[in-house]
Amino acid sequence: MSATSVEEVAPSRAAKSPWAVETHGLTKRFKDNVAVDGVELLVPRGCAFGYLGPNGAGKTTLIRVLLGLTHADAGTMSLLGYPVPRHRDLALARTGAIVDEARFHGHLTGRQNLQILAAAREPAARTRIGASLERVGIAHRADDKVSKYSMGMRQRLGVAACLLGDPQLLILDEPMNGLDPAGMLEIREMIQSLVAEGRTVVLSSHLLDEVERTCDAVAIVDRGKVIRQGPIADLLSGSAFELQIDCATPERAGALLAGTQWGANVQVGPDGLRVDLAAGTDREVAAEVNRLLVEGGVSVYRLQEVHASLESWFLEVTTRLGASQ
Amino acid sequence: MTTATMADPPAASFGSETSQYPTHDHRGSWVPNGAMIATRFMELRKRRGLMVALILVNIGVPTVFLTVRLLAHAFAPHSYGPAGGYDIFTSLVAGVMFVFGFIVAATLGCTAGSVDLTEGMFRHLVVTGRSRLALYLARIPAGLAIIVPLVAVGFTIVCAVCVFAAPTQLSYQGVIVPPGLSHTAFETWGADHADEVICNFNYNGPITALVNCGNGPGGGPSTRVAPGGAVPQPTSPAVDRAQAVKIADQDYVDYSGHFLSPSISLMVKAGLWIELYAAIGFLVGLGLASLMGQRTVPVILLIVLEIVLTPLLSRADIPHVVNLQRGLVGLATTHLEPAGLPSVFGGMRGGGGGVGMVTESSTVAICVIVGWIVVWTTLGAWRMVTRDA
Repeated sequence: MSATSVEEVAPSRAAKSPWAVETHGLTKRFKDNVAVDGVELLVPRGCAFGYLGPNGAGKTTLIRVLLGLTHADAGTMSLLGYPVPRHRDLALARTGAIVDEARFHGHLTGRQNLQILAAAREPAARTRIGASLERVGIAHRADDKVSKYSMGMRQRLGVAACLLGDPQLLILDEPMNGLDPAGMLEIREMIQSLVAEGRTVVLSSHLLDEVERTCDAVAIVDRGKVIRQGPIADLLSGSAFELQIDCATPERAGALLAGTQWGANVQVGPDGLRVDLAAGTDREVAAEVNRLLVEGGVSVYRLQEVHASLESWFLEVTTRLGASQ
Repeated sequence: MTTATMADPPAASFGSETSQYPTHDHRGSWVPNGAMIATRFMELRKRRGLMVALILVNIGVPTVFLTVRLLAHAFAPHSYGPAGGYDIFTSLVAGVMFVFGFIVAATLGCTAGSVDLTEGMFRHLVVTGRSRLALYLARIPAGLAIIVPLVAVGFTIVCAVCVFAAPTQLSYQGVIVPPGLSHTAFETWGADHADEVICNFNYNGPITALVNCGNGPGGGPSTRVAPGGAVPQPTSPAVDRAQAVKIADQDYVDYSGHFLSPSISLMVKAGLWIELYAAIGFLVGLGLASLMGQRTVPVILLIVLEIVLTPLLSRADIPHVVNLQRGLVGLATTHLEPAGLPSVFGGMRGGGGGVGMVTESSTVAICVIVGWIVVWTTLGAWRMVTRDA
């Protein structure tokens, strides 16, 4: 087995690719079950990228394939510009990852577990153990046995293990699992700070709210296939939204709008009315509705566009896909 | 697939620290570095329960046995002989330390070969990008660094007691005999102690002398009777001396294998021999557990191999499968046993495997041992490299 020196080719090769993760036609089968089905994925560098999907969608399998934990049946992939598995050692030299539940040797302390992992990395990794523990907030428990850690603490230790290699790319599979709300907030802030340092974070999760708060871009995966991907703002801008109108006489307002092209989508409530608008509707519609109401003598107190959340959009997309299949 | 555009990804922008790739880091190499070996050693050494069990079996058992003998001899020296000596040494080394050393080493090997997988660390290690082969090979020096000293400590205790608490007189077939006599000197000594020799020493042949051995019915005189059953006539001292010389001549080979304490040469050879077998046990356990991905079943299999199969198959010369029997690593290692130790798996006394065991040349035995090490190491490493993490 030949060893490739990291310093021989790393900087030039790594700098060329704009993508932290790039896959083409990536496929992984377990007998008859296609867990990863021709995935085309492009994760730009320097962002927080969410990999979203329902349970069993193939999120973890894709990550395992990317990291070389299991082999792919077809397709190509690269991490940080290095084709994997050919230059897996180079790619993973600057990649940190936690996959599934973070588990460690329970009879060792958190620090000792990190020493084992640092020993498998470059010598400088051993100097980062303390800083990594500090950063994830478990330095005060670093010398306790891992068997005494809570699930959330083990999760933090997993993140600390990721940081040992000073990674350009972090792949975190369900990092919020087992964390309390404060812990989730800390991890979210840590991810944002990592991204601010220029690192790329790929976050696999089914917690849509967390992903929406943390990530800049997402890919939606269902039944092994990536069905949408892109910046969150762009994806949501293409979805349906509603116009919430708070006015003095909702019934009169509803009657005024009933004769318009939006009449079928108006719902009248005690405090106002709601108009459902299709994806891609021009924002000028809001001004037009406002003008109609004011000219009709209705006092408008508030008029607001409410876009779909990532959660409702995700459900809309996956439900539509499920219905079509 | 619908893909929102991400045609303009942000340019890579890392700080001075993050932009540097690790230098002097050949992590694709199959050679483990010192830190990997050291941390793997730490991981095994910190398994307190396992270490206590290994120490109890490998050091505790012979220590307790020798301590009881020391105390018994101290309190009742006429009833209990000295704690140490040559016979105790050979019995402990061939009867206890050889077998227990293998089992202890195999248990450690099975632990080293499986815990990363069962405790979820294997995945973390693979994600570092380090060669999986290097991850496997790091376990070998780390495990041997534990098992070799462990066996050495137990063996040193046995050696120390057997040398320093050795008997001061050699009791050969119930008779106090000066140790280390030459063939001629032994015969001369026999002639001078004709009655004791004729009455106590084993002899395969006709006895022409009649002596009073003092163990007849009612405490009266009795005679040493030849195997044929013929009762010899009373004899003169000259005849008795001649008879004693014959008996001494026949028994010299057996006598020459009895010593007060083990020689340095024997201790060194025996020490290296049980270390070799312990190392084999560790490597086989490591490979088997890595192959199977668990600890319990491989440990049970290796104990059954050592305690049941090897003793059974070493003694019975079964037609058609004798070459399979020769392939047993325990039997092969027994054939490299230092001269002066009793046979481990039965048969009669003597080095080189003992009489009554399946025969095997030293060359074949070495080939079998090398084969076991290479095959199990290769299988374990192959599974480690190809396994889904």
